[in-house]
Amino acid sequence: MRSEVTIPSESTRSRLRVAITATAGMGVLALAGCAKDAPQDTFQPAGPSAQSIDDLQRPVFYAAGVVLVLVTIAVVAAVIKFRDHGQPIPEQGHGKSAIEIGGIVLSAAILAAVAVPTFATIFNLADTKGCDMTVNVTGQQWWWEYSYPVQPGIDEPIVTSGELVLPAGECVKLRLTSRDVIHSFWIPRLNGKRDAVPGGIHIWKVEADQPGIYDGQCTEFCGLSHADMKMNVVALEQADFATWVAQQSQDAAVPAADTAAAAGQAEFSVCASCHQVNGAVDAEGNPVLSQPEGRLVSGAAPNLTHLMSRTTFAGAAFDLLTEECRSELRNASPAEFGALYLRGVTEDCLNRAELEEWLANAPGKKAMSPDPDPENNNLARGMPYLALTSDQVDSLVAYLLTLNPAESGAN
Amino acid sequence: MAIVERAAPTALVPAGVGPAQTMGVLRRPVTSTGWKSWFFTVDHKKLGLMYGVAAFVFFIVGGVEALLIRLQLAQPNGKVLSASAYNQMFTMHATTMVFLFVMPMAAAFANYFVPLQIGARDVAFPRINAFGFWCFLFGGIFLNTSWFLGGGADCGWFCYAPNSGVVFSPSHGVDFWSLGLQITGIASLTGAVNLITTLLNMRAPGMSLMKMPIFSWMVLVVQFLLLFAVPVITVALFLLSFSRTFDASFFDVSAGADPLLWQHLFWIFGHPEVYILILPSFGIVSEVLPVFSRKPLFGYPMVVFSGAAIGFVGWGVWAHHMFASGLGPVSVAVFSMSTMLIAIPTGVKIINWVMTLWGGKIRFTTAMLFAVGLIVEFTIGGLSGVTHSVSPSDTQQTDTYYIVAHFHYVLFGGAIFGLFSGFYYWWPKMFARLLDERLGRLNFWLMVVGMNLTFGPMHILGLQGQPRRMYRYSPDRIGEGFFNLHFWNAVSTVGSFIIALGVLVFIVNMIKTARRPADAPLDPWDARSLEWLTTSPPKEHNFDVIPTVHHLDEFFHRKYAENETTGVMEQVTTAEAIMAEQEANAEKNIHLPAPSYWPMLLALALPILAYGVIFHISLIALGAGLVLASMFGWALEPSMADDSDYDPPATDGGNSKELAPLG
Repeated sequence: MRSEVTIPSESTRSRLRVAITATAGMGVLALAGCAKDAPQDTFQPAGPSAQSIDDLQRPVFYAAGVVLVLVTIAVVAAVIKFRDHGQPIPEQGHGKSAIEIGGIVLSAAILAAVAVPTFATIFNLADTKGCDMTVNVTGQQWWWEYSYPVQPGIDEPIVTSGELVLPAGECVKLRLTSRDVIHSFWIPRLNGKRDAVPGGIHIWKVEADQPGIYDGQCTEFCGLSHADMKMNVVALEQADFATWVAQQSQDAAVPAADTAAAAGQAEFSVCASCHQVNGAVDAEGNPVLSQPEGRLVSGAAPNLTHLMSRTTFAGAAFDLLTEECRSELRNASPAEFGALYLRGVTEDCLNRAELEEWLANAPGKKAMSPDPDPENNNLARGMPYLALTSDQVDSLVAYLLTLNPAESGAN
Repeated sequence: MAIVERAAPTALVPAGVGPAQTMGVLRRPVTSTGWKSWFFTVDHKKLGLMYGVAAFVFFIVGGVEALLIRLQLAQPNGKVLSASAYNQMFTMHATTMVFLFVMPMAAAFANYFVPLQIGARDVAFPRINAFGFWCFLFGGIFLNTSWFLGGGADCGWFCYAPNSGVVFSPSHGVDFWSLGLQITGIASLTGAVNLITTLLNMRAPGMSLMKMPIFSWMVLVVQFLLLFAVPVITVALFLLSFSRTFDASFFDVSAGADPLLWQHLFWIFGHPEVYILILPSFGIVSEVLPVFSRKPLFGYPMVVFSGAAIGFVGWGVWAHHMFASGLGPVSVAVFSMSTMLIAIPTGVKIINWVMTLWGGKIRFTTAMLFAVGLIVEFTIGGLSGVTHSVSPSDTQQTDTYYIVAHFHYVLFGGAIFGLFSGFYYWWPKMFARLLDERLGRLNFWLMVVGMNLTFGPMHILGLQGQPRRMYRYSPDRIGEGFFNLHFWNAVSTVGSFIIALGVLVFIVNMIKTARRPADAPLDPWDARSLEWLTTSPPKEHNFDVIPTVHHLDEFFHRKYAENETTGVMEQVTTAEAIMAEQEANAEKNIHLPAPSYWPMLLALALPILAYGVIFHISLIALGAGLVLASMFGWALEPSMADDSDYDPPATDGGNSKELAPLG
């Protein structure tokens, strides 16, 4: 047995000081160094599900931190105290069962303490009994479709994309599925993620405490543009949500003849082969029905009926609002948010540059596979290059701007 | 082709195919110098070295891929790689690092040191051993030729269906991926059968299982994991290949398939795979820590049993990779619990390592630095693993950079630190040269600082919402302030280049060391296990005298004895003296397996077949012909070379051990 504790040599101590300073420095940096207001921060819950996850995970993280510090202290202490300074060869013992059994019991006890609340939370999160509203959420390469079946408060089915609009303070049940590959629905501040798997329905729920926009992103790798497959949840006060439902239940207005918008509507006939605009009629006055199943692997393209009631386009990859209007909306107080959101995208708020770039060359702006695949019934994935002139693009934008239920007075 | 030690000169000549009848192409090659001695070798040590060299080259390839990934992510909306190139890059980075670096590097150590650690002259099936190596090498090369033949796989290393189907991944990348892994899988499977047989049947007299060195023990556990896990991925890969090549509908939702089938198959393989990657390194540090603490491994039986326990429980946790996939709360709860359970044997190992240090007489060589570094860095990875077992929390973290941080702490801070510890520890055994310790320390510190800068910030990135497998991220999701997610991405990129610098220092160290004379002492570390009871590098037949084992740390107990009056351990003899005694009493008539052409030729046929599956049926015919010919050649070749085939002819019947295929 060793009797005296030897002081480590000067070089050891200075090296140790460097190591400790560096470790402490990195620790402080990491704690102080988180991004502020990251929109997808998992430690800023804004709804009951995310809150219950946060309540569960924080103590686990703290406990893990304590264990790490203890192990590190033990290792550092051992290598300083027992560094070779000429002591005799130690006793060739093979272990002490008390320490080992103690270690097993202690770690088992810690884990048991973690397991109990974990199980409770698992079953609470899976419970959708209190969720009165239901939305069907469908993923496909590389955007999300939301369809609201008829239910109390919603008299006409609503189909929209990119932004999931919900009443604040109300639990909403989501029925998730996919039309092609596996996607995953994740709004970090509202709940964890749940995969949308083709051929099956997965039930999930979200609830936001306050009106506002909550960002999310597809988190199951889904091919070429996985990085650009985003989505938001927009939460509105009950009254504002009722207004939104009423707006969405209308058809799109037909632009007046001989306007730029009317010319744009004529150009839109190309787009209409995939993109549905409810209320659009052809030259004979018959309703135009899009048929994306003839062109796309997923058989679906975003419904654009009320495009300008949303704040994003192209799978929520790009903003419809200019930087200024976007930050005005996002920084609005919960009380003001609803009215501002329901205004939709007005002409001065339109992020015209990006929308024009998109119309001029969509595959150049977002990685897609837009060419018909001869191996696969000439189906494509994503929006093709349409070879539009800048005049055609301008009139299309003029038409798209009319797809705002707040402006067209459809309300 | 098992090796029989001390065979009587007449005992092993089979009727009919004795040496006198060797002729034509069925003659066994005997060249002991030049490239032929490497290409046709069945010597476990040469194969081990070749495994190591090839794996290291793939390490560089995978590292370059990692650097490109980090360059792309250094800033928002990166322009270094296109979406398609990025998706290929992260798929191939992971595939290369897992299947072509860590697994074969562990196989390199296992091949080289298991027979030496257990006092055997080779593995049980030397030709199958050679076949396994060539399968790995040709499979790895085949996989990487996809870069030049239409692009690499772009489905992620887990290659989830249906995104892996032809519709969603039309290039041949996934075909190369599935067929390439099929070929390297053969290497793992044959290696597993071989090493299990070797470890169970060929230990030196007196070496009971509980006296077997801990590295060999961990290798044994890993081989059982491989034996049962590789067939699962083999089945999955066949389903994938048949789906893509012959329009089979295993994962076709419109034909009624459930794409989650692939996830279950993949992770039933994939989770044991994690332990396949980490346990060899646990074995290495469990050798290194006692040597440089001059103390036996604390609680050796516990470390053995916890390794075996990890091996068993590792089969019951696969669905924790699927907590977000909609399994239902009961399954999720069960797999949460099993995942917490596996933390216990893992924690036991950490306690045992720390307790091995405690009370020791610690020397800080580079090998020891890496081993101690592993304890701390792996603990970080293990603890973040525990946070995943809390499945509600995992639904926030899965598929974010937090997961990337977690498994890099496990695989870089764990597996790779262990392998580097092994390099520095066993280098003098393999090459009779000590790696430079000054460069070694630089190598270690660069890698420690680099890995913490690279992977540490990924915890923050993930917890603040950055998903993985994204070729770009937009500025509007990075948050506010100086320490926004762009900042941490940039730090991570800087860190990755510091790691690269560390690897570069290691390469310089290897080159510098190779230029020095081979004059390392026989026992530079005062080591404890049998592989040090032979020359450096070991003779072809490993041991002049097969040792009889009395202790767990046999070599240590041959050198040291307790002073009867003081009770203190004292050195009573030196390694040199022990070795001289061995040489003086060298055994005669050592039977060693002769080299063979066929393992390499048979392995060469497999990528030809695979190219045929992808490109043209004529290549299948060619490959199948070569398979048949090689198998017949293998079966018909004589069990040993004729003495007269050697140059000079091995006429001495007794002492020509370097060449001695005596009957």
